Amino acid sequence: MPEHNDISPPELIADKGSLHPINHMKDSIMELLTSFGFETVDGPEIETEEFNFDMLNIKKSHPARQMHDTFYVENKSNLLRTHTSPVQIRGMLEKKPPLAFISGGKVYRKDDDATHLPMFHQVEGIYVNQNVSFAQLKDLIYKIIFSLFGDGVELRFRPSYFPFTEPSAEVDILSKEGKWLEILGCGLVNPVVLENCNIDSTKYSGLAFGLGIERIAMLKHGVTDIREFYKSNLDFLSQFK
Amino acid sequence: MKIAYRHLVQHIEESPSIENISNKLFQLGHEHEIDGDILDMEFTPNRGDCLSINGLLRDLAAFYTVDLHQEVCTEKLNELQLDFENLSENICPKISFLKLEIDQVPETYKNSLDNYFTDLSLNKNNFFTDVSNYLSYETGQPTHCYDANTMSGKLLFHEIKKNEEFETLLDKKITLTGKNSVFSLNDNVINLAGVVGGKSTSCSNNTKTVIVECAYFQPEAIIGKSVKYDIQSEASHKFERGVDPDCHDKVLSRFINLVSDHANIKDMSIISYKSKDNLIHQIPVNVKKINQIIGINISEKEYLNLLSKLGFVVEEGFIKVPSFRSDIKTQNDLAEEVARVIGYDNISTSKISIPNNERINHKAIENKLRFFLLDNGFYEVINSPFVNLSSEEAIKVDNPLDSNREYLRTNLTNSLVDNLLFNERRQKESVKLFEISDVYLSSNGINKKRKLSIIASGRVGENYKDFSKKINKKYLAILFQEILPNKVFDFKIISRELLDTKIKNEIVSLEIDIDKFPDDILRYEETSSPPDTFNEYRPISDLPSSIKDISYSVKDFSKIKELTNLLLTYQSDIVKNVFIFDYFKNEKTEEIKIGFRFVFQSKISTLTASEIDVIYNEIITKSLGIQGITIPGMKKNV
Repeated sequence: MPEHNDISPPELIADKGSLHPINHMKDSIMELLTSFGFETVDGPEIETEEFNFDMLNIKKSHPARQMHDTFYVENKSNLLRTHTSPVQIRGMLEKKPPLAFISGGKVYRKDDDATHLPMFHQVEGIYVNQNVSFAQLKDLIYKIIFSLFGDGVELRFRPSYFPFTEPSAEVDILSKEGKWLEILGCGLVNPVVLENCNIDSTKYSGLAFGLGIERIAMLKHGVTDIREFYKSNLDFLSQFK
Repeated sequence: MKIAYRHLVQHIEESPSIENISNKLFQLGHEHEIDGDILDMEFTPNRGDCLSINGLLRDLAAFYTVDLHQEVCTEKLNELQLDFENLSENICPKISFLKLEIDQVPETYKNSLDNYFTDLSLNKNNFFTDVSNYLSYETGQPTHCYDANTMSGKLLFHEIKKNEEFETLLDKKITLTGKNSVFSLNDNVINLAGVVGGKSTSCSNNTKTVIVECAYFQPEAIIGKSVKYDIQSEASHKFERGVDPDCHDKVLSRFINLVSDHANIKDMSIISYKSKDNLIHQIPVNVKKINQIIGINISEKEYLNLLSKLGFVVEEGFIKVPSFRSDIKTQNDLAEEVARVIGYDNISTSKISIPNNERINHKAIENKLRFFLLDNGFYEVINSPFVNLSSEEAIKVDNPLDSNREYLRTNLTNSLVDNLLFNERRQKESVKLFEISDVYLSSNGINKKRKLSIIASGRVGENYKDFSKKINKKYLAILFQEILPNKVFDFKIISRELLDTKIKNEIVSLEIDIDKFPDDILRYEETSSPPDTFNEYRPISDLPSSIKDISYSVKDFSKIKELTNLLLTYQSDIVKNVFIFDYFKNEKTEEIKIGFRFVFQSKISTLTASEIDVIYNEIITKSLGIQGITIPGMKKNV
């Protein structure tokens, strides 16, 4: 009999769980933005039309307000926020510039198919100060994208339209396969929005941006079907330790 | 909107390639795909003015020499005698009617009208409707054609608010409900304004006398109608985004010209109604402000030259916004015009420095809880808030996706029960999940609560110390007692009686408001941490899995490491997981018993017993090749 009585038992592999990949992505982005100087603010998912639309210069006639795009609750007295921007409105009403907020969380739109879900996640940011320019917005966006996708990634800015920003832009990155993929929307805060929040738009200007968390998580993890995130399948979740 | 490249390029002096035009369109913010010689355009909702050949050319004039001249009828027309009354001038402040009579309906089309149908592979309808459709493509202004022979009586434009049956010219019967802007003839609706005309007055292949309606409708009156009545309408797409209120004369003159290219016009007359003039919007010239907004430094001359290419007129220190650009109101709007033409990617960055704010972690407790649960094998999940269960406190969604998602959930645990059963059906023997989320309740207004819910059932874990232990209330109580010894938690056992499952394991759950957790938890030192990298996802299989256990007896302890190395790293397409579920060292017999569990699953097909046996036998053969290793009850040469 060989003398190996001091043999130690096999290593006990701790059965650790994992963060949800969407929450992990959201936390990572918010941590990154916090390191840039942004303050985290939080707000309710059930909002008023005033904060979700009116204050953001989204007119009564805007298609997003239709019953087929927005979930309304309690006899249309409130709605499920369609973006996290109302949180920033609340922040701007509470504090005076200079200010820099980020907010992240669940948002809701009346979509349900292979590429859209009625619930998804956003992180949005706003920075208001004197002489904030589009050129500065570009600098910030480069920093965000390079931090997320690496310094070598190629990106482009395209003119776009959001009622709450002017000028507005969408930003794409070039995938390994040579396809442009939309990553975020951004722009200079529309002066109407600043005025709605009692901020003198002749003195201050601002920049704002928003990222769809699912989209970035899909790209970073190589997930092709957005619905996988919400099946709570342990075979799926255990891959993100 | 599909636009043929050659319809654009014939107006551009430089004759750019489709790729060149495509690049400029992207720079201007007009997304599109190229399919052969067709540009499939998608415009942002503020740029309704671009929904035509002329509209796109007006924007491309920033880069090219564009000739927007199109032949129009310059003849003075008689006044049309029409019994018309506009009862809703606020919705339709401007409307014109043109009546044309031709001697013969043309059998073939020529020039731009023919090219339109040929190049875009479109089906023809009838002559006047075809001219109208082409004109909308060319100018962006929808017109509607009535067969004049069906139009005797009093014509009204008004907003109605009563249920009324209406048959569209697309043979679709709809019931108008709520407020609708319509044209009525002798009290019958003949046209859902800005959306679709009616069958009773529509033109046919025999129509020789037409009344063409050319109107401006307030977008607010049109928005949502095509979706509401499920009507595909290019006209409503344009009216919803706003058309040029000052284009009617030109559009109708062009209509006449196109008709006269194809038929002899016997008679024509026109009448226009206008309740108010379209105000020309003026913005002061302020290049300093433009430079500040964008962060550039262009001269006033460059700035104004650039705007003039886009159709803006400068007079006495003011920039006059063209009538087709209803989206331009402020200096920021003008700055966007400048930035688009310069190219967003050509604007240099300017270093941004955001003053550092105080970093307050509002979610310290819940983050600590998350990592405590991770340390103990729990997985975080996120569930949809939409449920079909009503309770007194549940908030009702006014417009749910379907009847199964009519309410917002009032607890998180029910979702976790569904998640648990989902995983048990996938042969998971240990399920430990948690979710942290806001829950909204309706009681004296809307109340928000931030909650943690956990659920657990089955084996405590997969390692050999936990494998034989089952999750129960005591297990969870001990876990939480370690971090919060002074707090009593109300763990619940969830009955399986009403659940669709044959598994008997106890289901233990806990749902608690986050603010009920004491700060003591912040002292917990977690061992888990967020992943350093974003792992590449490996597609998972939904096919059934099979389990095989092998128990070894090891007399030569020095071989344990070799055995575990061999088995725990065993590579096969169908071996999904391997772990040690049993380990016992018998001091008396100087023997180690070690059990390995193999989980087999294919990503391609359901595995047969013989497919599993091939790998299983290979594993046994290789493992028994190690000296001093036996499988009790099995001969070595088996």
